[in-house]
Amino acid sequence: MISSAFLLPVILFPILSGALIQAFRIRERKTVRIYTGAVTLLTSVAAWLLILRADESGCVLLKFTRDFTLKLRFDACGRFFAGIVATLWPLTVCYAFEYLEDDPRQHTFFTWFTMAYGVTLGISMSGNLFSLYIFYELLTLVTVPLVMHTGTREAIRAARTYFGFSLGGAAFALISILYLMTGETSVESVQITRIFYFLGVVGFGVKSAMFPLHAWLPKASVAPTPVTALLHAVAVVKAGVFSVIRLTYFGYGTDLLKDSYVQILLLGLSAFTILYGAVRAVKEVHWKRRLAYSTVANLSYILFGVFLMTEAGLQGALLHMAFHAQIKILAFFSAGAVLHQTGRAYIYEMDGLGRKMKVTFACFTVSAIALTGIPPMSGFISKWHLLTAAASADTPFSFAGAGVILFAALLTAVYMFTMVRRAWFPGKETELQKNENVREAGLFMLIPMVILAAGILFTGLFPGTVMMHVREIAGSVLAAGGEF
Amino acid sequence: MNKTETRVYALSLGLTFLMLVLSVLLFFLPGRSIGIPLLLSHGLSFTVDGFRKIYALVISFMWFMTMLLSKEYFAGHHHNIRYFVFNILTEGAILGVFFSSDLFTALVFFEIMSFTSFVWVIQEETEGAVRAAGTYLAIAVIGGLSALMGIWLLEKCLGTTEIARLYEAAKAYREGNSPALLYTAGALILAGFGAKAGVFPLHIWLPKAHPVAPAPASALLSGVLTKSGVFGVIAVSCGIFREDPAWGTAILILGTVTMLLGAVLALLSIDLKRTLACSSMSQIGFIMIGIACTCLLGEEGGLSAAGTMLHMVNHSLLKLNLFMCAGVIYMNLHELDLNLLRGFGRGKHLLQAAFLLGALGIGGIPGFNGYISKTLLHEGIVEASGMYGRLLSGVEWIFLLSGGLTIAYMTKLYVCIFHEKPGKEAEEFQKERSAHRPKYIGGAAGAALAVSALILPLFGLTGNRLMLRIAGLSSEFFRAKMPEALRFFSLENLKGAGISALIGTAVYLLVVRKVLMKDGRYVNRLPRWADLEEIVYRPLLLRILPAVFGWIAAVFGENKILTAAGKGVMKLASFAARLFGENRLLSPLSKGLLRLVKILTRAASDAVDAVILLLAGTVFRPVLPPSTEQAEHSIFYRLGNSVDRSYRRRGKEAENEHRFARLFYRIRETMRRTTHNLTDSMSFALLATILAVTAILLYVLFVHHFG
Repeated sequence: MISSAFLLPVILFPILSGALIQAFRIRERKTVRIYTGAVTLLTSVAAWLLILRADESGCVLLKFTRDFTLKLRFDACGRFFAGIVATLWPLTVCYAFEYLEDDPRQHTFFTWFTMAYGVTLGISMSGNLFSLYIFYELLTLVTVPLVMHTGTREAIRAARTYFGFSLGGAAFALISILYLMTGETSVESVQITRIFYFLGVVGFGVKSAMFPLHAWLPKASVAPTPVTALLHAVAVVKAGVFSVIRLTYFGYGTDLLKDSYVQILLLGLSAFTILYGAVRAVKEVHWKRRLAYSTVANLSYILFGVFLMTEAGLQGALLHMAFHAQIKILAFFSAGAVLHQTGRAYIYEMDGLGRKMKVTFACFTVSAIALTGIPPMSGFISKWHLLTAAASADTPFSFAGAGVILFAALLTAVYMFTMVRRAWFPGKETELQKNENVREAGLFMLIPMVILAAGILFTGLFPGTVMMHVREIAGSVLAAGGEF
Repeated sequence: MNKTETRVYALSLGLTFLMLVLSVLLFFLPGRSIGIPLLLSHGLSFTVDGFRKIYALVISFMWFMTMLLSKEYFAGHHHNIRYFVFNILTEGAILGVFFSSDLFTALVFFEIMSFTSFVWVIQEETEGAVRAAGTYLAIAVIGGLSALMGIWLLEKCLGTTEIARLYEAAKAYREGNSPALLYTAGALILAGFGAKAGVFPLHIWLPKAHPVAPAPASALLSGVLTKSGVFGVIAVSCGIFREDPAWGTAILILGTVTMLLGAVLALLSIDLKRTLACSSMSQIGFIMIGIACTCLLGEEGGLSAAGTMLHMVNHSLLKLNLFMCAGVIYMNLHELDLNLLRGFGRGKHLLQAAFLLGALGIGGIPGFNGYISKTLLHEGIVEASGMYGRLLSGVEWIFLLSGGLTIAYMTKLYVCIFHEKPGKEAEEFQKERSAHRPKYIGGAAGAALAVSALILPLFGLTGNRLMLRIAGLSSEFFRAKMPEALRFFSLENLKGAGISALIGTAVYLLVVRKVLMKDGRYVNRLPRWADLEEIVYRPLLLRILPAVFGWIAAVFGENKILTAAGKGVMKLASFAARLFGENRLLSPLSKGLLRLVKILTRAASDAVDAVILLLAGTVFRPVLPPSTEQAEHSIFYRLGNSVDRSYRRRGKEAENEHRFARLFYRIRETMRRTTHNLTDSMSFALLATILAVTAILLYVLFVHHFG
């Protein structure tokens, strides 16, 4: 067992190491890479050690009053999120090495990227809602520079939108958290409590891109691909979802919320977001923006599971959280590889590229199949579990939601497979001469992609281990009400 | 085919042969079940019984036969490796579907099969193929997801999806619960598997995908893939809803519509493979009627169960034969339009004999295999009409009519290809296309064609001995007691075939020759817009839904909603302020609050800007390389350069030293930056203000003094 005191160093190490790139003015490309690679790898190893061995006692960093503390604690739910992050981060950094090879501001990028790692781990390790809130705000701050990295007008505007949305949302979340810490949550004030819970979900809903607070996410796809892949498909958005889970199951508890109008409202909102995101993705012709809309829809799959407020619902949500992470990151990686190799960003430019970039598009096809939820890929497992959860909740709304999930899966097939079709089967009449000079991406990009694709297939076929953990988490949370 | 392609072909031919041998071996082994727990979190389970053994045999036989044709068919085609690889994968997947013992496993393999067979449809990559493949995929995904939802509901209701236990579980469930949920689940599963089978109204992919796929693949699509859909329909209808009149009637109606519509479409078509595809749809309708009667009659439905089973097997073998004939024609002419194929088969005896046997078989002529299964189906209908009366007698007449239409369109094809003389245009076309081919068919393909054709009369003549035994083996799956022996050639049974033959002849002479032909050419009388896909499905999915959501986005989405909300809050506040306006105490308070809110929002907005500006000014300062070109064009640089030149002339400076030019340029840069800093800074603004104020003061003094 490792003492909980080691949690803080693991959070601080990447943050400080990132800052050091700026402080020591490390500019040499190679040095930046080796440095970042080493820091990321070390952090991941340390994080995994903690995930496997840390004790659950927790440690208090700062004590303002009796209840008002800054506390780190690594419970099973946090470990699950940290596990996703710590696995995917090194892969993304490896990918970013090649993606940003010609970027003059590489050092700045890796500064913020490494810092974001620490902050995300902080979110997973925070021991109470106040600490969670602090890290949540910090995550906004360190990721804004990443969104505006390219420095174009569009990027700055996107960063502005992102920043505004996130700060505004966090304010709502803070109100909700403060109410929870000071207010009455007894049976008499149940109506007020529900309203404050709703405010909190709206607040955290910004990062989890719930309609109508999703607008920042498609815009933010102007960021470099490693950012859109890791942050806007995994770390940032899943941090939003994770916070909603914390607020729902650990903060307010499901007893007060279940079968109330708040639950129905939130189920409705997330179901609507699923439809909305999927339909917009069908309409969108910019590849990365299309994937971003797809993320909007998929995040609401997870939220739908969360708002079911049953054990099965939470299981489905956690499963989809893990599986969607690996699937979407792979899809973004493929889009980025094409963007990097050819400069093409629109779907109608993909004709026949599959024959030139075989591995890239094979990986993309895997992610398309998985995202649609076709067996034997991992997306099928999580979708099946979400559906089962909706069925066992046994209310008209959950059934409607299940219908929505299935309909959205059809739309997913439409928007993913149009690209697969164009890449592999361009049709006889298409001119393919413009593809002549296209080359396959380099190994730094391909290796993470192939690992992810293999991972999708493997977790699809043998989801046993993940399932076991998810079951454990959901069971313990709903049985004990979650100590937080 | 090049060397690699030949190797891949040989390998897949070997694999299909191995599968055939294994299926034969399996046929003689006792049945058993195996399960793989935990795989895909739900666990997969397989079982081997009589029905599955027979279908494994049919599948591997068909695969091997089509592979024999493939070498010749694919010569000169592109991307053949892709086809062979996905062909083998599809065989594995479809065997998985048929061997699965629960619906979940069936669904898993069903989905895999849909995706691997997608490559078949799009293989040729023509415009039509790409579009048809899109439709195929959409239907496959809709069907798959709908079946997924149904199976999931079923598991929730019954607690199991094991096919053998469905009936008992459903019976137990119905005792305490309303069957509404069960019907929903059944309808969803029916939609999923029915879409693959080509049942109306999800048949739209079938007439499009079959003609564009390569002929060996069309044979398999039509012969086997549709049967995997039928497999699911049987599992539901003979399991969960056995002896349920409502369900049976629904299937009966769907089957009748499919049967008639398919036959009519086939009659109207002037494309060889499209005719065969629509014919497949129609024959699936026959099978569906058999399923419906089995479902209605329950344990007594042995006749229709046997009819269903045998028609499935027969149709698989018939379509193998007919599509292989179409494939032989296509690989010679690369054309499927009947007007251009006319008379191509004259003098090609093997092709003619094979096609004739197939046509007689599918037409249900006594002595051929189709007759046996159609007679059984007919008897099943008659038996069911004893219980359900009028509806069934209507169905019986439509059944005979569709049988007649089948004979009519097969006659149309046969007469056109093997009997009519080619016109001038067609003759030239055929000569030109097949000029480079020494023989119209090679050895392996010819053997495959002959074997696939000779089976048909063999089956037709051994009704009691072979066919009913096949049916008997599958009694466990259908949960019906199969008939042991039957007098197939009794007068009663021959009468049905006779009526159909009469109708067929009449339709051929009156409709095909008179209405569907004009000036000796076959014309397509089907209007272009008469396509369910174009009228309903595509607009709904691609236009209406996105338009609705686009509108929602325009109203709410992308920042506008926040602005609107902000304005709304302000309006509300001012309204409140006006409401309390008379009250002196509250009025200043509310106004103050309003102002506070305004200040706060502005401050928040500015704070965001400030952070962005701060970042833009510090870590995100643009990295601009010193541009030499720009420097050389500046006046200061040139000025310095001329000084340099005069120095150089006096020998005081080296050749490439731009001392003064650089110095002058640096001075200019310093000046520029200073003015820039000045003009940009706050102090400059103050300075300018002070200057302006001073100027005004001076002016005032001046006027005052002199004015």
